[in-house]
Formats: sequence, C-alpha cells, structure tokens
Amino acid sequence: MPEAGQGGAPLTAVIAVISSLACLALAAFILIASASTAWTTELDSSVTIQVKGADAAQIEARLRQAEEILSSASGVDQFNVIDSHEAAKLLEPWLGKGNADALNVPALVEVKLNEEGRTNIAALAERLQSISPGVVLDDHGGWNDRLGDAARSGQALAFAVFALIMGAACAISIFAARAGLSANAEVVSLLHLVGATDDFIANQVQRRFTVIGLRGSMLGLFAAVFLLTLFSLATRARGGDGFLLPGLAVGPDLVLPLLLVPIAICLVTAIAARLTVLRTLRETY
Amino acid sequence: MIVRFDNVGLAYEVGAESLKDVNFTLNEGEFRFLTGPSGAGKTTFLKLIYLALKPTRGRMTLFSEDVTHAERDMLPPLRRRIGVVFQEFRLLDHLTAFENVALPMKVAGVNQQQYREDVRELLNWVGLGSRMDALPQTLSGGEKQRVALARALVSKPDLILADEPTGNVDPQMGEKIMKLFVELNRLGAAVIVATHDLQLVEALGKRTMRLDGGRLLEEPPPRATGRMR
Repeated sequence: MPEAGQGGAPLTAVIAVISSLACLALAAFILIASASTAWTTELDSSVTIQVKGADAAQIEARLRQAEEILSSASGVDQFNVIDSHEAAKLLEPWLGKGNADALNVPALVEVKLNEEGRTNIAALAERLQSISPGVVLDDHGGWNDRLGDAARSGQALAFAVFALIMGAACAISIFAARAGLSANAEVVSLLHLVGATDDFIANQVQRRFTVIGLRGSMLGLFAAVFLLTLFSLATRARGGDGFLLPGLAVGPDLVLPLLLVPIAICLVTAIAARLTVLRTLRETY
Repeated sequence: MIVRFDNVGLAYEVGAESLKDVNFTLNEGEFRFLTGPSGAGKTTFLKLIYLALKPTRGRMTLFSEDVTHAERDMLPPLRRRIGVVFQEFRLLDHLTAFENVALPMKVAGVNQQQYREDVRELLNWVGLGSRMDALPQTLSGGEKQRVALARALVSKPDLILADEPTGNVDPQMGEKIMKLFVELNRLGAAVIVATHDLQLVEALGKRTMRLDGGRLLEEPPPRATGRMR
C-alpha cells in the first residue's frame, strides 16, 4: 500500500493526541490510587481520643487516666496530647481570641497504632470508655469510608475517560482504513488479480497501521510525560504537595505503567484496521 | 483442460449482453489469438478468464474447477496460475520496476532470495536491466508494457493472457515478445493473445478466435508466413 494512501502524517498526529490524552487519563488513575492509599494508610494507623468533662479539672483527671491506659496498652507506637487549652487555641481562628476557653473544650489525644494496635482497637476503646462515657475513641472509620468512596469514584471516572479515548482510537482507525482502501481501490484490485488473498492485503494495512500507531503513540507518550513534568514542577514551585493530593513525582512508578498506552493503542489501531479491511474487502471487492 | 465456457453470457448492470452464448475450450499447451473490432468484448472475455468478472449465465471451468459461482477463498490460488498482461499495464506507481515484477511472487509468499534472480533475468531480457529501480511514472509507454509483461511471466504461469501486448512497443520488441509467448507455449503454458495486429496473427499461424458483437467465432488457422513485419 502506498504511504500516502493511509493518511500518513495526519493520522500519526491524531494518534499522538489521542495517546497523550490516554496517558493523562491513566496518570490520573494512578495518582488517585496512590493518593487514596496514602490517605487511608494515614487514617488507618491513627486514632483520636476525645476527653470530655464537666470542667477543666475533670477533663484533666480523665486525660491522665487515658494517658496511663495508652502507656500500658500494647500496639501503641506513640501518642500526642492536645489538652483542653491547646484545643481551645485551635478554635481561635473561628471563635476569636480567648472566646473558646469558656466553652470547656474537650482534650484530644492523637494516637499512632501499629499492626497489633489496629487489631486490638475495640479492646482499647472499651478500656478508655471504662474511665467515663465522656472518653471516646474515634477510629476515623467514617472519614476513611468517605475518602475511599471518593477515590473509587475518581478512579472509575479516569478509567471511563481512558476507555472512551481507546474507543476513539478504534473509530479513527476504522475510518482511516476505509478511506485508505477507497483511495487505493486500483491497488487492491490489482493485488487480487495477481493472486493476493484478503489476509495478505489485511496484513499490509495492519503493518502500516502498527507503524503509524507506534510512531503516534510514542509521540503522545513523550508529550504527556512532558506535561506531567511541567505540572509537577509548577506544583513544587507553588510550595508543596498540595492539600489533598500527594506530590506528583514523575518517576518510574508513574512512567512505567504509561508505557502500556502505546502498546494498547498499537493493538487497538492494528486490530481495528485489520478487521475493517477484511470486512470491507468482503463487502466491496 | 485449462478453460471451458459452456453457453456463457455476461451482461453488465446496464445495457445488453457483452458476451452471448460463448462456447470455448482451451486445452493444455494451446495457443490462441483473439481478434475482433474495438468494443467486441475481447477484454471482457479475458476478464472472465482471469476471474475479474463472473458470468451472468452459462458455466465456466478453469483448470478443471467449476468457477461459475466460485467462493472468494477459491480465487487466489487459481489467479496465481494465470499471468496477465493488461492493456493499460496496471503497474503500481509507488513500486519500482523490480518490485512491480516481483509482486506476484511476494503475494504468493515466495522468499525474496528465491525470486530475485528470476526477476532480474526477466527485466534484463525485456531490456530494462538498467531501469530496475525506476518508478513507473519515469518509464515510457513501451517500457511500462515490458514491465507488465515481465510481471505476468515471472511466476511461470500455466495460462498466459495478453491484451494487446505489442500495442505500445516497437516492431522489434513486439516480435521478441511474441517469440517469447511462443517459446513459453512450447514449454507447456497455454496462451491467449488478444490483438488487432492481423499481420502478427498471420505470421505465427496459430488458431484464431474472432469476437464480433459479443459472439465468439472460431476461424481456421492461417498458414504461417513467418513474417511479422
């Protein structure tokens, strides 16, 4: 098949754009998965104890008891006490300076647990409750579930976008293969007359589309990695990792899975072109 | 038996039948000329044989196989046994002379090592040894005709069909081409040559068929004069 008959350069450019978008969608999928893991790991390994009381003295007394329990409990790596006064200070931005002291704000204990601690979390909660019903352990289960749901929705959306882009690559290959056959009707007719099978002609077209697909999708991959690197540099220049998303590092963990995109696009374009050619030959010639 | 037509008729989508009640048999080793005025159906007749068209009625047999309603999977192996010199050459513009000639071998899955020498030899024989890498658009009409001839012969076909093969070449090359057909026929290939050149027909003294108004008439073989020009 002549080079120009398959759309050559324009088709390569379209495949490059599609590949680039597919890479970005896959990168979004990977980043959300990695952020979700970071969120849930952080929440899984920590619990918060809220110590309430009728007055500051009662809170202080219960806090001491809670500290004793935590010091003796197995599975507790470390804990950090935020007493009533410090907790009140945390509310100052919303309530104004000095206004929170009158509210009898509960004390908080941030506890880091290891694997054993996470297993025995129910027993720890029970021991703390034995001090008073006002001492409550929060294992962040509600937040964890909500963040997990949000991450799963984000991943599903990114995957749907990826699948749609692959569908677009398939549709473009079908149109290009039909146009190529139509533009090369004389070549196809001659090939048949010298004894070519439909498979032989489909192989020629498939080979051409594989080359175009590989060339275009590699260009798209480079463009996507370039964009991700720019985004990563811009994020760092803004001063950090962002509030919810972990830092975007363009390393092997991100780039290696993106290598699947050129492979997938080559497969999709080559198979779509082959099946289109075989079908069109049967219908037309 | 190479080709057999039984009451074959062919009509295009519009208009009257181009071929009517054609009965014809071509056996192994036979050589036939096909003559007739322009528009008599010579090219259509050849197209039926090289399986570019299907008869609309009658029965057609090729290499002892009924091809009247042949399935498409059945066609490639039969077509590979036929070498066709098309009137309008039908060379592929994006391939060199060498690649055009090698096309039937490549299509048949033959290794390039095996056909390279044959292709070179044929191109040398038709006087295009120095133009193997030339693209068709840089060749003259006669050169294209010779490339088309080499392509038809490269696979050593059992049946050679030539549609006005000497129409675009000088008399000397025309004579050389016809001698080649005769030689290939002597080696066992059946040959049908459609031509307007009655002098050529008379010179070789082969059996002649005449198509007129879509009907095929057998003419008695002329006595060979041996003089082509």
